Amino acid sequence: MNADLIITSLAAAGQANDGLDNYAALGVLLLIAVGFGVFNLVATSLLGPSRTGPVKESVYETGMNPIGSARKRFNVRFYILAMTFLVFDVEIVFLYPWATVFPNLAPGDPLGLQFLARMLFFIGTSIIAFLYAWRKGVFAFD
Amino acid sequence: MEFLPQLITSVVMIVLIMHVLLIGGPAYGIYVERKIASWAQDRIGPNRVGPIGLLQPIADGLKFFMKEDYNPGNVDRNLFLLAPVLAVIPAMLAWATIPWGGTWLSPWGELSLGVADINVGVIYILAIGSLSVYGITIGAWAANNKYTFFGGIRATAQMLSYEIPMGLCVLCVLLLAGSSRPMTIVQDQIGYWWGVIPAWNIFQQPIAAVLFFICILAESNRAPFDLAEAEQELIGGFHTEYSSMKFAMFFLGEYMHMATASAFLTLLFLGGWHLPFVDYLIWGGAEPAKVNLLGVLLNLGVFIAKVFTLVGLMMWVRWTVPRFRFDQLMRLAWRGLIPITLGLLLITGVMVYLDLTGYLWLGNAALLAIVMAVLPFIPKGADVNRKVGLRGSRFSPATD
Repeated sequence: MNADLIITSLAAAGQANDGLDNYAALGVLLLIAVGFGVFNLVATSLLGPSRTGPVKESVYETGMNPIGSARKRFNVRFYILAMTFLVFDVEIVFLYPWATVFPNLAPGDPLGLQFLARMLFFIGTSIIAFLYAWRKGVFAFD
Repeated sequence: MEFLPQLITSVVMIVLIMHVLLIGGPAYGIYVERKIASWAQDRIGPNRVGPIGLLQPIADGLKFFMKEDYNPGNVDRNLFLLAPVLAVIPAMLAWATIPWGGTWLSPWGELSLGVADINVGVIYILAIGSLSVYGITIGAWAANNKYTFFGGIRATAQMLSYEIPMGLCVLCVLLLAGSSRPMTIVQDQIGYWWGVIPAWNIFQQPIAAVLFFICILAESNRAPFDLAEAEQELIGGFHTEYSSMKFAMFFLGEYMHMATASAFLTLLFLGGWHLPFVDYLIWGGAEPAKVNLLGVLLNLGVFIAKVFTLVGLMMWVRWTVPRFRFDQLMRLAWRGLIPITLGLLLITGVMVYLDLTGYLWLGNAALLAIVMAVLPFIPKGADVNRKVGLRGSRFSPATD
């Protein structure tokens, strides 16, 4: 509804769309990075010696005979933690556009209060979720 | 073709900064770190190769290439080869939007001395920086070893957990600058309050700056948060099964990540290329937004000096503070940093709305007071860290 206003305030903060020209150098950098990684991988496999044997092939477990497989189940707390992370990270992603628009509104702009109130409500819901997770012991790793 | 001068500048900057980061980061960074370690522990450190060991990094680099590149029999071969590359690529990409030298008023127009001056620069650094977790996770899983597996899940949980407070600290700065273009954020900090205090964000948001430093230590897997490669518990952690250059690539990634994270902190909180008080002598006031060639070269030097000072600080921390335990690490992130940064974000938002950004340091102090007041009322849960008296020892003699 206030798209024009948002675009104007973004342009004022140097946030306007700046075309693909600026991304050209990123492509060069990506090529260099991939080339560097692949070169290292190939060079080191060609340069070094290569010998093998049944003991050398086995899993390193401080010199003991390996016991069982490493493909085991692990603690469910890591799953819950990952889900909680997703909630908060997505929340933060939503906050970035707000943080670039909101400070550029003129002081006393009625929209300002609206923007602030909406975000406070949004963060408030996450805080409730955070407190619930805390009470449920998601963050208790001991 | 009007973007050609900018593209040429960007490519020159790629070559220049890549060398600075590769030589100052992994190569001589490791040398300096070993020297700092030796000073901290009253040893001599590397001193055999070249004068005071200065050629040690070159010898190490050659040795990495000449060592056997071994793939153990039980590994998941494709992923095992992919993981080191995945660890090194984000590290080499993430520094691209850092504005190393500001804007150059050149004969060919205004050129920005960074690789890419894009409007989502800050989000780009966060996004690419957090991709490095894939290299570690995939490598740990592919090696099919119990130690790498534990190191991998620890590293994943740690990097996920510390990304949230890091993002919230960045948000606190974005609210001040009103832009996510790194160039604008730095230019916003150039200036003075009452002519004496540099208008750096660290003086406006001291809590965010300190917490951000803690988060970048954890994000780049540095001590005291190097749980992922805790050698006393996990041998080498996620890189136990790696050898030769594949192993070195994880280290390249870690040290370049350190340098990038320091550059990010410099850009957000330490005024970027701003050299306080010297600009009074040169420009007779706060540094202008666009400067000549000597100006940008000075900017570049100042920025890089700040970055390597921070890298040195991270090394100092590593050899001073002992490693955290895993539950302490998680408690610090989820019960400590996230509530504090959320509170800081709320305070910053309200103060930006009230147009009181000049008094943010008061808001920070208020937050600190609130935290101190609330801390005793937080339920502590099971106290696993209680001290068990050594019965019969010199410090707690047996009473019965």
